[in-house]
Amino acid sequence: MDSQPEPVSYICGDCGMENTLKPGDVIQCRECGYRILYKKRTRRIVQYEAR
Amino acid sequence: MPRVSALEMDDVPMGQLPPHIQLQRTRVFCASDAPTQTENIQYSGAYASMGVDNSFRLDDFVKNFRVEVARLDEDDIEFDMIGIDAALANAFRRILIAEVPTMAIEKVLFANNTSVIPDEVLAHRLGLIPIKADPRLFEYMSVKSDQLEWLPNGSEFQLVTDNSTSNSNSNSKPKTYTSFSRSQTSLPEFSEDSIALKHNDITIAKLGPGQVVLLENVEDEKAEELVKKCPVNVFDIEDIGEGKRRATVARPRACTLCRECIRGDDWENRVALRRVKNHFIFTIESSGALPPEVLFTEAVKVLESKCEQHTSVIWTDLTEDNGSTELKLVIANQKA
Amino acid sequence: MVSIEYTKGSHGDITVATKKDVIIGRLPIMLRSRCCVLNLRDEAELARLGECPLDPGGYFVVKGTEKVILIQEQLSKNRIIIDKDSKGHLIASVTSSTDAIKSKTVFILDKEKIRVVLNQFIKPIPIMVIMKAMGIESDQEVVQMIGRDPRYGVLLLPSIQECVEENVYTQQQALEYLETKVKRFSFSYGSVEKEGRALSIIRDVFLANVLVRDLHFRPKCIYVAVILRRMMEAVLNKDAIDDKDYVGNKRLELSGQMISLLFEDLFKTMNSEVKKSTDNLLEKSSRSSKLDISQHLARDIITHGLERAISTGNWDVKRFKMHRKGMTQVVLRLSFIATVGHMTRILPQFEKSRKVSGPRALQPSQWGMLCPCDTPEGEACGLVKNLSLMTHVTTDDEEGPLISLCHSLGVEDLELLSGEELHAPNSFLVMFNGLILGKHRKPQHFATALRKLRRAGIIGEFVSVFVNEKQKCIYIASDGGRVCRPLVIADKGISRVKEHHMKELKVGIRTFNDFLRDGLIEYLDVNEQNNALIALYEGEAVPETTHVEIEPFTILGVCAGLIPFPHHNQSPRNTYQCAMGKQAMGNIAYNQLCRMDSLLYLLVYPQRPLLTTRTIELVGYDKLGAGQNATVAVMSYSGYDIEDAIVMNKSSLDRGFGRCIVTKKLTAINQKYANNTMDRIIRPQRVGRDAERMQILDDDGLAAPGEIIRPYDIYINKQSPINKEISVHSPAGLPDSAYKSAIQTYKGPRGETAVVDRVALTSDKDNNLCIKFLIRHTRRPELGDKFSSRHGQKGVCGTIIQQEDFPFSERGICPDLIMNPHGFPSRMTIGKMIELLGGKAGVSCGRFHYGSAFGEPSGHADRVEVISETLVKHGFSYSGKDFIYSGITGSPLQAYIFMGPIYYQKLKHMVLDKMHARASGPRVMLTRQPTEGRSRDGGLRLGEMERDCLIAYGASMLIYERLMVSSDPFEVQVCRACGLLGYYNYKLKAGICSTCKNGDNISTMKLPYACKLLFQELQSMNIVPRLKLAEA
Repeated sequence: MDSQPEPVSYICGDCGMENTLKPGDVIQCRECGYRILYKKRTRRIVQYEAR
Repeated sequence: MPRVSALEMDDVPMGQLPPHIQLQRTRVFCASDAPTQTENIQYSGAYASMGVDNSFRLDDFVKNFRVEVARLDEDDIEFDMIGIDAALANAFRRILIAEVPTMAIEKVLFANNTSVIPDEVLAHRLGLIPIKADPRLFEYMSVKSDQLEWLPNGSEFQLVTDNSTSNSNSNSKPKTYTSFSRSQTSLPEFSEDSIALKHNDITIAKLGPGQVVLLENVEDEKAEELVKKCPVNVFDIEDIGEGKRRATVARPRACTLCRECIRGDDWENRVALRRVKNHFIFTIESSGALPPEVLFTEAVKVLESKCEQHTSVIWTDLTEDNGSTELKLVIANQKA
Repeated sequence: MVSIEYTKGSHGDITVATKKDVIIGRLPIMLRSRCCVLNLRDEAELARLGECPLDPGGYFVVKGTEKVILIQEQLSKNRIIIDKDSKGHLIASVTSSTDAIKSKTVFILDKEKIRVVLNQFIKPIPIMVIMKAMGIESDQEVVQMIGRDPRYGVLLLPSIQECVEENVYTQQQALEYLETKVKRFSFSYGSVEKEGRALSIIRDVFLANVLVRDLHFRPKCIYVAVILRRMMEAVLNKDAIDDKDYVGNKRLELSGQMISLLFEDLFKTMNSEVKKSTDNLLEKSSRSSKLDISQHLARDIITHGLERAISTGNWDVKRFKMHRKGMTQVVLRLSFIATVGHMTRILPQFEKSRKVSGPRALQPSQWGMLCPCDTPEGEACGLVKNLSLMTHVTTDDEEGPLISLCHSLGVEDLELLSGEELHAPNSFLVMFNGLILGKHRKPQHFATALRKLRRAGIIGEFVSVFVNEKQKCIYIASDGGRVCRPLVIADKGISRVKEHHMKELKVGIRTFNDFLRDGLIEYLDVNEQNNALIALYEGEAVPETTHVEIEPFTILGVCAGLIPFPHHNQSPRNTYQCAMGKQAMGNIAYNQLCRMDSLLYLLVYPQRPLLTTRTIELVGYDKLGAGQNATVAVMSYSGYDIEDAIVMNKSSLDRGFGRCIVTKKLTAINQKYANNTMDRIIRPQRVGRDAERMQILDDDGLAAPGEIIRPYDIYINKQSPINKEISVHSPAGLPDSAYKSAIQTYKGPRGETAVVDRVALTSDKDNNLCIKFLIRHTRRPELGDKFSSRHGQKGVCGTIIQQEDFPFSERGICPDLIMNPHGFPSRMTIGKMIELLGGKAGVSCGRFHYGSAFGEPSGHADRVEVISETLVKHGFSYSGKDFIYSGITGSPLQAYIFMGPIYYQKLKHMVLDKMHARASGPRVMLTRQPTEGRSRDGGLRLGEMERDCLIAYGASMLIYERLMVSSDPFEVQVCRACGLLGYYNYKLKAGICSTCKNGDNISTMKLPYACKLLFQELQSMNIVPRLKLAEA
């Protein structure tokens, strides 16, 4: 439980680069400096009713 | 003068209806303002005073009932059902729409979807795709139209489609985006599968009961005018000698009931637009899983099983019931 | 904003230093304006920038919100307006507005005497005193200046007499008289200044728009004389009274003017701030370095001032005593059309919520300028207006060149004219932007000359020339805020736009601006339209015709332009549709899925209307539609269609009809606190109490996009420190126990699941981590959702019926919805019927049909006859009525049914957002009564009127149950002796009266808690409520 959570990667809103952030990091793309990052889509399978 | 009932007067033929009443019984009058005589006369004693028995006789039905297939191709069938009650014909239509099973995707699992179409919308679209699979090979729990519950082998099948859907969407390949528009064959995974998709968009059945136009000697130039009037070319001109010509109904099936022919002036007095009550033109457009003719037999089967269900219920309650056995016989006859 | 600034050097050696590109502040830029990066970009470039090419622009982005500065409507500045006040006195008012000052001068005719009302004077001043103060001591000269008509003399006589009664004969006397009437503001004014007060008021405040140079009062005197003449004309002839609601007397203030006003004020404030800070610095004896003014420029004043004004909408310009609220609004992003409509909205300046009909009524002069349909219902009806399609609002044009041009065209200068000559017959006064330039002997000639120059492009295309025959004046206007519209010029009734011009336009060689430049089209403002004879169509032109309308449908605005065949509808229906079109769901913009709106309504399958109008194509509604073409059968079905309810086909809904997506934004901020501690987002525990609600969280403690979120699910696993004030030495190393959970849960409708659409991480202005979640919810129509056609015919979904049970046509066509025919007779929306016919014809022949307003003669709307022919050709009845079978029995219906496609809009009012019920739930702390409102899970109020019903019926126990048992029952101890409330002592197990200090006479009873509260509050006010108990 105490182990450092593995960093989750985020996608830059501008260039689409993947960035990994640790808690406390500045929210900024390492590549282009864009300040809005988006979370990646869940890897779990989601079930929908086709109706 | 002795009082004589109107029905017993000399010129009233017994045992057969006067022509105008016969017309009312068998035809829907499509007047310019509104259709009249639309209902079927059900009551067996409706014409008892004229000595006519209006009851439903199985023998008569068997004798008079005809099915004529006008057109049949891969997806469409057009056939006439003659000599059947509207309620029964409608029952087939309703069953075709609601109760004859077609295969469709029920549940969709998304592994990834980065397209512009949100998951649930995509799922909905997939659900609308008709699947070319014979539903008779599968089993389902109940026959209720709105809650088709699938058995394990059915859901197994779904898994196949589900996976392929999600695969095709992964990594947001652009080719899959366009494939949702109308043709689904471009989904490559399906074409390899034995269970294929049908590339037609349109699904279920249509029904258009029959129509006949009766004519009362429209002659000469008026006739030509009539021919011109109808936009769908129902009429033709026939020479009846002595330089006189008259319009005849050449293509009654083409009539769309636009009522152009009875519009204006006193055309309504010249042309009588009527339709035969017990003549139905059925058009079944298949979604592709099954040929249309099979769809109809399926519908008949559904009705049959329903009847059986009811008769069994009735049999337990009553000792005897004619109507349902009759119906069963009707269906048996029809299949033949 | 970048500006060039100029600074000065130090003590002895004064040097002039120039600094270029000094930033004095930043100005928000209107989107798509000339300074905007998006200006003149084509579609592909805009797409690359992530912007929607159809977005109209015209708004500002301030602090992350889109704000429109609404167009403000006000009375013309610097113009004489003759009117009647509430008491029936004739008044002439001039609202002067110059760079330096704004003032309002009112001339009032009271008991035959004309007086001047000015803020600076304590009471109305007789007009002759003013004239004398301005140096015209001779009464004869005044009469001459007004005109020698004896009737004018008679009317002026009482005023002259009044002046004599006051013993004012000379300029000196007049000034002395005025001096006594000047308002004293404070004690600070010295006696020396006092001497000139009256004079300076007369010079600077009285009719401030007429400039006085070196005490040369003659122009002002003539101006006064003209006002007086107009007043007297109005006395003699009631028609001469101006109409305040006349659009020509109004000016529309656009955002540019508003911002320039604000900027001017802020700039001056900044200058004075700079001066103050330099003065402070210079006062200090010990200065280390040389003074450099450029260091003291405070750039925040302008930046923040503008930002604050635009984001709050409060315009406070002290210099002009302007305090306006609600100048800006957040751009409506409900639908594309709402956004466009919002940009054309005009707010009234005054007259709010008054029961006056005049300003609310439709003015004939609004023709072509303001939409006759688009106005809200209710309070602001008729006051809030919208621009028409081709309206142009002018901006200020340079005056100097125009004035000199006028002089060279033969305007005789005011200075050279005697009072007598001024109103000589056959000569017209020339008024330029409210100023008297002089007179002209050949007014028509002069006007034509100016117009020719304008058409040639030598003077601005928005300069208007208006010959007023009645007032014998030529009005030339080049000021901003006039509304005008383009018209085709016609020579002797023959349009200048010829066939080949139109061909060139179609090919694309010619643009609208070419038409303007070549003098084929010109802009006319409302006043100049009075000089024009405008033919509706070229064919209707007569030899006197000067102009031809471009297209009649342009009199409507954007919102009304969506309605097909609006000219066949009853007019209020079009007004209703204008309001409803803004609530329709559809597409917002091409970039709608990239936006992070706090609330967004989208249609899953929006369609382009089958029956379009030219306006729809011009605006782009066909690309960003807000509705679907539904096959509608007009018939009664099932009884669930009364009161405008509609019956919907379940299979249509299955296929996606009316399906919509609602996205909501949820925000969470990772706060930093004063003691260096901050919130933290931690990994969710996968086992334990909250594990189930944390299923959708990733390892970073945030909900993952694509996950299905249910109500009460946690979407951010945040913790905040318990100790937020006292500083901690190591903020990072706080133990887990120092944090308390600050999770945020999704609160949605019960039983519904939504999806996390996107999660964005940003930092806000305080550098806090800011996480935004976009929650998406897809809904299919349900019972009670609101739908509407484009004809103000709204209705809720009354029932949803299986397709098998639905009626079907000869061809097997099943309608998508059924509408009750009772909606037609009283609404008289013939346009809807024609839309149905046109839509049906369009579907069968494969061509979009048109229904532009008044479009039949010009071919922009299809005629019903033609539509019927198309229908017949494709086998339908000419009337659009089909032979329909009942889906239940299979036999034909005994009526032909009017059936075809109508464009239906889904409105944002959905049952899911409104339905509410509660048994027991939260209560208000103070009164212990149930809370109010759906958002607080409140109770349903049994109100006064309902209570009255129960009283009248005599259902006392029900009242008791509703008003107390189910609301706020409370057990109290009442002292029978003193009648006051006591308390229950749990130790003694007895009630005790705190006033009597014993428990002898205590009774227990039930009371609403609010009642007990009232007693206590009354007691605190020294009122003693005593209860008298009796055996029940």
